[in-house]
Amino acid sequence: MASQIEKKLTPSRILIYATLLLACVAYLIPVFIMIITSFKTTGDIRSGNLISFPEVWSFEAWAKAWSTACTGVQCNGVSGFFWNSIKMAVPAVLISTALGAINGYVLSKWRFRGSDIFFSLLLFGCFLPFQVILLPMAATLGKMGLANTTTGLVIVHVVYGVAFTTLFFRNFYVGVPDALIKAARLDGAGFVTIFVRILLPMSVPIIMVCFIWQFTQIWNDFLFGVVFASGDSQPITVGLNNLVNTSTGVKEYNVDMAAAMIAALPTLVVYVLAGKYFIRGLTSGAVKG
Amino acid sequence: MAQLQLKGIRKTYGNAVQETLKGIDINIESGEFLILVGPSGCGKSTLMNSIAGLETVTEGSILIDGRDVTNAEPKDRDIAMVFQSYALYPTMTVRENIAFGLKIRRMPKEEIDAEVERVAKLLQIEPLLDRKPSQLSGGQQQRVAMGRALARRPKLYLFDEPLSNLDAKLRVEMRTEIKRLHQRLGTTIVYVTHDQIEAMTLADRIAVIKDGELLQLGSPKEIYERPSCRYVASFIGSPAMSFIPLTVESDGGNLRASLRSADGEQIYVPLPETLAAYEGKEIHLGIRPEHITQPLAHKAGQEATSSGKFRIEVTEPTGPDVMALIKINDTEVHCRLDPDHTVDPGEPAELMIDLSRAVYFEAGKEARIDI
Amino acid sequence: MAHSGVVSETASQPARGRLTQRLQQWLPKLALAPTAAMALVGIYGFMFWTGVLSFTGSTFLPSYEFVGFEQYAHLFSNARWATACANLAIFGLLFIFCCLVIGCFLAILLDQRIRNEGVIRTIYLYPLALSMIVTGTVWQWILNPSLGLEKLMHDWGWTSFKFDWLTNPDMVIYTIVIAAVWQASGFVMALFLAGLRGIDPAIINAARVDGASLPRIYLRIVLPAMRPVFFSSVMVLAHIAIKSFDLVMAMTSGGPGYASDLPAMFMYSFTFTRGQMGLGAASSIMMLAMLLALLVPYLYSELRGQRNG
Repeated sequence: MASQIEKKLTPSRILIYATLLLACVAYLIPVFIMIITSFKTTGDIRSGNLISFPEVWSFEAWAKAWSTACTGVQCNGVSGFFWNSIKMAVPAVLISTALGAINGYVLSKWRFRGSDIFFSLLLFGCFLPFQVILLPMAATLGKMGLANTTTGLVIVHVVYGVAFTTLFFRNFYVGVPDALIKAARLDGAGFVTIFVRILLPMSVPIIMVCFIWQFTQIWNDFLFGVVFASGDSQPITVGLNNLVNTSTGVKEYNVDMAAAMIAALPTLVVYVLAGKYFIRGLTSGAVKG
Repeated sequence: MAQLQLKGIRKTYGNAVQETLKGIDINIESGEFLILVGPSGCGKSTLMNSIAGLETVTEGSILIDGRDVTNAEPKDRDIAMVFQSYALYPTMTVRENIAFGLKIRRMPKEEIDAEVERVAKLLQIEPLLDRKPSQLSGGQQQRVAMGRALARRPKLYLFDEPLSNLDAKLRVEMRTEIKRLHQRLGTTIVYVTHDQIEAMTLADRIAVIKDGELLQLGSPKEIYERPSCRYVASFIGSPAMSFIPLTVESDGGNLRASLRSADGEQIYVPLPETLAAYEGKEIHLGIRPEHITQPLAHKAGQEATSSGKFRIEVTEPTGPDVMALIKINDTEVHCRLDPDHTVDPGEPAELMIDLSRAVYFEAGKEARIDI
Repeated sequence: MAHSGVVSETASQPARGRLTQRLQQWLPKLALAPTAAMALVGIYGFMFWTGVLSFTGSTFLPSYEFVGFEQYAHLFSNARWATACANLAIFGLLFIFCCLVIGCFLAILLDQRIRNEGVIRTIYLYPLALSMIVTGTVWQWILNPSLGLEKLMHDWGWTSFKFDWLTNPDMVIYTIVIAAVWQASGFVMALFLAGLRGIDPAIINAARVDGASLPRIYLRIVLPAMRPVFFSSVMVLAHIAIKSFDLVMAMTSGGPGYASDLPAMFMYSFTFTRGQMGLGAASSIMMLAMLLALLVPYLYSELRGQRNG
């Protein structure tokens, strides 16, 4: 009976669909504007308006944003920053995920006196306002000779990302029945064998969640990038911000938008391909965080 | 096969006040099928985990074939366990599941293959060997879990409520299967369940545990007929044993007691001489449903039987029997009638009470009076 | 033979067994050690260090000449800090309120067995995959006083339309609210939708059988059951608000003047561009205090609820 009601398009249901669609438009329009603007020429921007299509679709702005736009005193586009972000994000994601997996395994299946307290203390790292650690971290990186290096950024992202990855893995492994661990122990497997042979093969979904969450966080980070990096190690977000806020010359919104697209594309692609895992990470991070 | 000795096992969790196990002593003979039974939370699973080495005991010792394994790691005890949730490794095929323990013990590959084949044949799971656990039904998973345990040919098998997750029909089938396997392989088995029918049908001996204490250890027949205490008496058997309060009277040297029906009719039943010490006192008579029946010709006139009219309160036909509820001395009592013997709820019926298997308890005390 | 095996086993087992056993016992703790060290130093050690710095007169470089609460006194008499805090109050409250209303509303609509729900949900959530810097850049362009929304409206014939919030010191903070709500409201929608899906349909059916209307069911049964989702959403949003830095940086750089400053901006510019490290440290400790003021009561009620439940 219920399904019969559902299929009829009553006025109230039309209203619901209309509202939902309107919201879709509202969410989509900024990126739509970003895309069409990035394909406009400078003259096109003056003559058209926000949502008018380009007269001619031009890749000029993209090319300029990538290789010749000024980001402060240098005018080499954002390409260098883009590669810096890759060099920073990939190792940071891998290391923080690996650590999170091991921590989650211990905190769910090999709990000891004090391990729960340790977990709570670690979780606070998810809530930490990072401003409160910026100064000591900068000083420490300086002492270690890692100031303004990609390695330094990787370390920072691992230190403050591991709280999230541990949370993900711990909550996932709590759902794995303890009997499985008992069975493996009776089969003669120890700490390492159980993890490698039994748990890791089951962890593909949560590894995906972790990869995507960490990649998005690290790629999109601005604070650590602007504080701990300079010149040749700065990530794309800093590059984009420098480009947009460089006050020399005429403001070129098409180049700004193209650069913003370049900065947004990797995470957008990941989101489109694996949005399911992204949303899972988002909600599970929030509910328990 | 091996012998298992549990000596004074005590266990207290962390900083808990209450002991989970309060000194358990059991000797399990080689090839014996021992069932640990009790209500949930009684400590039977803790005891099982302690035998397996998955939990440490606070006091006492565990010996397998005379070797003290109290502090040994699970893998060094040569024990296999079948879990309620089966605990099959979800990313491995059935074959890999069975072979896992053998691989870890570095058995040569040909021997592993041969062993997997042997076990698969024994349990008739050969067609399933290359499937993943998620592709199997509950009963098939159960078989694989047993196969994994059998493959290592351990000294001792532990079964932790292995049938609880199966539906009623499959449970009966698997029960028979386990019994057949035990008879064929002569393995030593410790089996935990809260299902008293499983306990009665499978066990060589049953250990009834409650609140961390061993209440009684004996054969199913002993447990059923001579329960050590009120709790065991009511725990084993369904419907449960009824307890009727009565006063021991003397009638010219013979002991007797009066039973009053709900309609006020009274009959006298003879009591054994050994109750003489309780003359004039109230005691409780424990009687099982099958000993209150319609009049049976072959029992009529025997010393321990007596008859009377009792009003039937409720009837519950089960097919082979009709379970009926009557009132004796203001206490509800179950009886088991023949379905051909028609009785109507609310109407009185002539019933025969056979006290030859009855047991007696002092009022307000747990232990059975030894007669 | 079997006998001798047993004997030799019992003889050698304890020594070797104890060693591997001890190793097995230590392995889990050993595995946690790197993270424990990182957390101890990176979270708690550095927090303490910043606390220490906030009591010193540090400027461009850390110095350890203690000045007591002087930096805090400076902070509270600083007009720019006052603006930043007032802005945070406006921004935080509006941002949380709008996200909750929009998110909850969309979640309820999406819960009406909508066709293509997955696609719609994906659209509502994609802004979260973007960097705040990207969001800020885009909205800076959309709200551009001469070429953005204003020009669009003029083109459409509404020539008197004027939209200069981005350069208007009184209104600029609201532009940041708009961009932030656009980015984060989908997240609240996802949380509420997950919460709605967690409600036992039998309860709703029971209410239907009792004759309750759909709006009534939502008001009296469903929304009250969303209390935990509501509180965790508020916590996450408040956390985002307090930490907000990138968005302001990209949209306004705190301007015009310091009209759109937030505490995080304040902390950054005083510490790293104006060389007043002690004052910056004090401001970051105040941010931590704000967060704890929210987090502690929340966790307290959570834990109490768990104990009672």
